[in-house]
Amino acid sequence: MNKNCCDIDACTACSTCAALCPVAAAVREFPGPKLAGPAAERFRRAGARDDAALAYCTNCKTCEITCPSGVPVAAINMRARAEHQKKHGRKLRDWLLAHGEHMAKLALPAQPLADLGMDNPVTRQVLKAIGIAAGRPLPKYARRSFLRQFGKLRQQPCADKIVFFPGCFTNYNAPEVGLDLVAVLQANGHEVVVPKGLNCCGLPLVTGGYLEEAEAAAKRNIAVLAPYAAAGVPILAACPSCGLMLKQDYRELFAADGAAEVAAKTYDAMEFLLELRDAGRLNTAFKPGKARYLYHAPCHLRAQGIGRPTLELIGALPGVTVADLDAGCCGIAGSYGFKDDRYEISMAIGQELFARIKAEQADAVLTDCGTCRLQIAHGTGAKALHPVSVLRKAYEPAYKL
Amino acid sequence: MNNYDVIVVGAGLSGLIAAAAATAAGAKVMLAAKGAGTLTIGSGTIDLLGYDNAGRPVAAPAAALAALPADHPYGKLGLPAVQAAADFFLALCAAAGYPYCGTLAANRWLPTAAGTLKPACLVPATMDLAGTEDAAHVVVLAFAGLRDYRPEMVIEGLSRRPGFRGKHFSTAVVDAGFGPGRDATALDLARWLDSDAGRRECAEQLKKRLPPGCLVLLPPVLGTRPDYQAWRDLEAATGCRLVELAGIPPAVTGFRLRALFLAHLRRQGVAIHEQAPVTGAVVANGRCLAVVTGQPDRRREYRAGAFVIATGGFLGGGFESAPGAACESIFGLPLDVPADQLAWSEPRLLAARPQPFARFGLETDQDLRPIGADGRAALANVHFAGPNLAGYDYSCEKSGNGVALVSGYHAGTAAGEGRA
Repeated sequence: MNKNCCDIDACTACSTCAALCPVAAAVREFPGPKLAGPAAERFRRAGARDDAALAYCTNCKTCEITCPSGVPVAAINMRARAEHQKKHGRKLRDWLLAHGEHMAKLALPAQPLADLGMDNPVTRQVLKAIGIAAGRPLPKYARRSFLRQFGKLRQQPCADKIVFFPGCFTNYNAPEVGLDLVAVLQANGHEVVVPKGLNCCGLPLVTGGYLEEAEAAAKRNIAVLAPYAAAGVPILAACPSCGLMLKQDYRELFAADGAAEVAAKTYDAMEFLLELRDAGRLNTAFKPGKARYLYHAPCHLRAQGIGRPTLELIGALPGVTVADLDAGCCGIAGSYGFKDDRYEISMAIGQELFARIKAEQADAVLTDCGTCRLQIAHGTGAKALHPVSVLRKAYEPAYKL
Repeated sequence: MNNYDVIVVGAGLSGLIAAAAATAAGAKVMLAAKGAGTLTIGSGTIDLLGYDNAGRPVAAPAAALAALPADHPYGKLGLPAVQAAADFFLALCAAAGYPYCGTLAANRWLPTAAGTLKPACLVPATMDLAGTEDAAHVVVLAFAGLRDYRPEMVIEGLSRRPGFRGKHFSTAVVDAGFGPGRDATALDLARWLDSDAGRRECAEQLKKRLPPGCLVLLPPVLGTRPDYQAWRDLEAATGCRLVELAGIPPAVTGFRLRALFLAHLRRQGVAIHEQAPVTGAVVANGRCLAVVTGQPDRRREYRAGAFVIATGGFLGGGFESAPGAACESIFGLPLDVPADQLAWSEPRLLAARPQPFARFGLETDQDLRPIGADGRAALANVHFAGPNLAGYDYSCEKSGNGVALVSGYHAGTAAGEGRA
């Protein structure tokens, strides 16, 4: 375990995290990150009984973003939650949500039967019975996964290589995001490699309390990625949560060899493209358009400390404007918002964001995170896109893959 | 390369002001933050100078500034500079729809939740007692379940203070109807009053419990947004004046001011990088070329023409110390401190005397650039702001947010104007 994860004494109990925690703002049963995290940890270490309040934490990391003393509050919570669940048992529902990759692998060969099977009244009754929120639409599986479609692509060979870490949501639910990223990178003289052997980043396992399985998933990914990192090949994630796992959580939660080297070469997709622009290497042959977008910064992108690259990149497209919604967490927090006992909290957290989106006229809402897009579409009915899809459109037809 | 006119390091009050001032000077600005800054939980009142260096209360800050030593940040910058910063702040708040009250001519005395009066210069309209002098009846409001707040203590203290002696005091309780859960804070109640339903319910309860024409003192609960909406609605519904007490963290009024500044900076196109702790700098020929950040994944360099360092003092992480020595954290600039560690502090923490370490900080020129032993600017394009400046004791003077405002404004302006 990383020593930073233990350093609860760096917490001065200033309450800044409690003042800015989106869960604490939405639900008074949650004592807030300071009390559930560093404060309760002192009692846990002294052998006190486990704290059920931990179940409210979404691991959104707002506490870590706002802590003036660098305390990894969310990581403390995730470790403690895993211990708590080991002692108190887990629900089938939580196992299923933590193991979405397994589910997708089972479902995909039978898509669209799988979607039909998920969306009928009988299945919804079963899902309701195990604790999946009845009001929450389930994301559809793609007809063909990203990996299957990527395998059939003919890329222009380029000297500059990029490793793409697709992650589960892009691979199984939103392959177009991965394909759009490949097209944009090709338009910028980069060839995309997706190494064999990558699996889920492990975040759903971390938030579900399955830390050992998450560590195993992390180590498999690191083993695949480390040789590329050593060769200086950038590793891109289009999902901010996968990206944050590779950049920070692998090192913070697991003492995995090679994690630091992989982290040092990992980029958010839009971060990488902005660095290309800053280096004067971005292909700027964008066709003029006419669009107004709203941008929602996902919590796990904010936690990466890279600013908001999308605002700069999309805002620089000819004829395009983009406004920062700046309304905090959307509330879904991956699998959190799918749980029947968390659904209302999830929607309450998102109210500010929903209200701002509804008050604006725009062509679409842009956001890097897949489950943020689900939440925005569900909460507002607005079209939600990954910003890389807008970039790809701006290159067409000159650079059609 | 990423390239800004000005990079401001630190997102407390001095950093936020510096970024706003640099933007107003026409610069392209990046703000690098480590954490949200103490403004989040503080009062957000601009305490310019509450007590002079002899410990006497200051009635008129403008006049008292003239008597400060030349090495005090105010002494260094001069009264016109202090006035310019105050004007900038007041105009910015007014334009954002959340005007502050006050002038440099007179301090205001704010009632606190501890039953004391505290001096401040520029304050939110909700904290201003002006115009309530004639109220004979003061109702100190309580909220059911509010932690660490006793209206009896407010009455006990205030009834003996000038301006409150001889008035009739009573209490009334408002119940927000919170269900089970953690103890309520002022912030929880402010969120309740953000909602139309909360404001309506609160107004109904107040109308039943307040005598007409009374002055209502209440904890800082009048909404989390910088818009005075809850305050106006409740004053209109009750016909009474409502004044927020300065309270313990989370004090809500600072929360509002931070929201105001962040929204302003985003509208101005400032690139705000959260989670970007600055750990070092690239310096050549007496100029800073870039600051270096230490995100969890790797270090990054951010280049700019000028820099404002608003990282705080010992408490904020702006300084590092070892026995008998201390330096500024980013550039390693040495502080002039006694080699005898025992001379740094008064042995009794709560002694009625100032703590020597409180005045430790960087010596600067009039543009707030650090000066070396030769008295000349050691870094030509780096300006410091806030508690990392030498020569003032914000705790004894009650000048913390005042120096943050004035030095932040001037550092930001100097950096913004020097961008060529």
